[in-house]
Amino acid sequence: MQYKVLEKDKISGFLDYLASKHNLMAPVSEDESFSQFKRVYQASEINLNYTNTVIPPKNYFFPPAENLFSFSAENGGIEIKESRQAENMVIFGLRPCDINGMSMLDPVFNGNFPDSYYGPKRERTILIGLSCQEVMPTCFCKSFGTDPTDGSGADLMLTGLENCFLVEILTDKGAGLLENAGGFFSDESVDKAISEKKLLRDKLAGAFLREPDLSGVKEILDKNFEHPYWEELAAKCIGCGICTFVCPTCHCFNMIDTSRPDATGSRYRCHDSCMFPGFTKMAGGHNPRPTRVERVRNRFMHKLKYHLDRYNLDGCSGCGRCIAKCPVNIDISQIITHIREVVKDD
Amino acid sequence: MTDLTGGNPLLPNIATIASIRRETGDVKTFQVVFDDPLAVQSFAHKPGQVALISVFGEGEATISITSSPTVKGFLEFSIKKVGRLTSVLHEIEAGAKVAVRGPYGNGFPLDEMKGKNLLFVGGGIGLAPLRSLIDYVLAEENRSDYGNVEILYGARSMADICFKEDLFNKWTACKDTRVYTTIDREEPEWSGHVGFVPAYLEEIKPVSNNKVAITCGPPVMIKFILMSLQRLGFTEERIITTLEMKMKCGIGKCGRCNIGSKYVCLDGPVFTLKQLKELPPEF
Ligand SMILES: Cc1cc2nc3c(=O)[nH]c(=O)nc-3n(C[C@H](O)[C@H](O)[C@H](O)COP(=O)(O)OP(=O)(O)OC[C@H]3O[C@@H](n4cnc5c(N)ncnc54)[C@H](O)[C@@H]3O)c2cc1C
Ligand code: SF4
Ligand code: SF4
Ligand code: FES
Repeated sequence: MQYKVLEKDKISGFLDYLASKHNLMAPVSEDESFSQFKRVYQASEINLNYTNTVIPPKNYFFPPAENLFSFSAENGGIEIKESRQAENMVIFGLRPCDINGMSMLDPVFNGNFPDSYYGPKRERTILIGLSCQEVMPTCFCKSFGTDPTDGSGADLMLTGLENCFLVEILTDKGAGLLENAGGFFSDESVDKAISEKKLLRDKLAGAFLREPDLSGVKEILDKNFEHPYWEELAAKCIGCGICTFVCPTCHCFNMIDTSRPDATGSRYRCHDSCMFPGFTKMAGGHNPRPTRVERVRNRFMHKLKYHLDRYNLDGCSGCGRCIAKCPVNIDISQIITHIREVVKDD
Repeated sequence: MTDLTGGNPLLPNIATIASIRRETGDVKTFQVVFDDPLAVQSFAHKPGQVALISVFGEGEATISITSSPTVKGFLEFSIKKVGRLTSVLHEIEAGAKVAVRGPYGNGFPLDEMKGKNLLFVGGGIGLAPLRSLIDYVLAEENRSDYGNVEILYGARSMADICFKEDLFNKWTACKDTRVYTTIDREEPEWSGHVGFVPAYLEEIKPVSNNKVAITCGPPVMIKFILMSLQRLGFTEERIITTLEMKMKCGIGKCGRCNIGSKYVCLDGPVFTLKQLKELPPEF
């Protein structure tokens, strides 16, 4: 890996430069409790100290609602027009859990039948990570093999240190971006910055309030599809679906057509949630997951077992969003711990 | 399939409904031809695979391809009127434009069935996916690859029998092929067997030797058929069925059709009983 150093007083210059040359998305705090990634035009809009955004960055590749194509009937025929768009984009300031979340989503869209919407957008985007400076009470990325300073999956990784940012160049894409922005970076005191980063990493590693132990959890789930624990959990859930909409790795969608009287219209796909009763309800009324018990179980099975079975990748990045947002405090990190205990008690 | 949709798997190919046959009060068979001759040539399906049929402005439905790949030039879909899109399809007339994407799913294990005798058990519109395989097996070019064929079909009443032409004329006339048909209750004009499919199956007592049983129909029927077949000595690997789950994308992305770690759209819809028993009971 190649390293560079960016002095603290040069960061706004670098971000202004990025904003002038690229479509730059970066964390913006709308108020004290709400931050999100947004198109920015200058460095002053960006909040470098944000904790997790409410809306996950997956929305740039897999938007909440996306026009797939439009159609129109003309002289007895039908025309289809694809609405694929993929602009070059730089996302700056991604936290390690979100970068990891994206790597978990990739095989869904880029695997069999590569998705023509997600793939090109992902391809044309440069991801710049930014190490966390603090660990929130809801964070548990460590359990899923990343840490708050881990850049794997990004093209560049920045870590804020006392006087500078350490810049890790992780891919060719990242290197390409830096080549053109060479003026901001130096090779001086790289070693010092690397050791400072190690200190930060160790400090943050000790700051987790949640460290659920994942070992053996899949094996437990393999054997405990039917367990009263799922009923206990489901009794609390109100089925609002928030947990799925804020999750950086959830990928379920619905497809719908809209049409106008003049026989033109569009087909969309939009985020959907396995927590909703209609998600699996078929014509004729049969529903393989008729109650919240099956639906809650499906969500956690998907995160902790099904995704692993299919892609050999975790289905949760430990970002803690669903914990923070669930109105009834259903908590995946607790579930991981509880499931080990309830099964032991049996 | 060749790259007619710019490689975009969510773009369907425009097609025209060439003809419509009424099967029963609520089932019609649609013969569909792609507008692009290249698509006609390149759409290569296996019996048991499905396609998604679009009516623009209304959406898509997952429908089994009921015609055999040995029949070229068109595809057939037998569709039951059950909801929004299928109701619109039932109003449509020949000549109308629809669109089709696919083929999706695993299809029947054609190679593993080679050299075996075959027993088909279908109920209602559940004969639709089996028909593709029956016609494939009975096609001249494949007939010698497979042994005897028995077809057992049941419907609620005479009026509910699908594929009458196949059942009473075409398949009956094929050599080494037997067709049994039953309806649930007596009817004055019916001289055939009366009674439910599982009971009829136990009456016929097909020997399980070197035979594969393939079944599809309403969930209750399948449940009893699976028990009967096991009683008759069919092993779990020799019992094949198809599953239905709600689908949207058909290609393993929308997350809708999972049963445990399997997706019906990719790993199914065809499963052996052995595979079914390894799945969580959520179907
Ligand atoms: C593998 C497979 C093979 C099938 N083969 C056939 C066939 O050969 N003939 C036939 O008539 N039907 C078949 N079906 C069922 C058919 O897909 C549904 O009955 C149909 O989608 C209902 O659409 P609708 O819009 O009329 O109903 P609505 O109730 O209005 O449906 C609303 C939405 O739910 C979805 N949906 C509802 N029920 C089902 C369902 N059972 N399966 C999948 N999606 C559903 C539809 O896509 C639609 O978007 C098959 C289903 C599967 C999964
Ligand atoms: S399941 Fe919860 S903690 Fe895990 S990635 Fe999704 S939102 Fe984050
Ligand atoms: S956010 Fe909580 S209450 Fe809402 S669906 Fe998810 S688990 Fe249930
Ligand atoms: S239909 Fe979308 S995942 Fe199977």
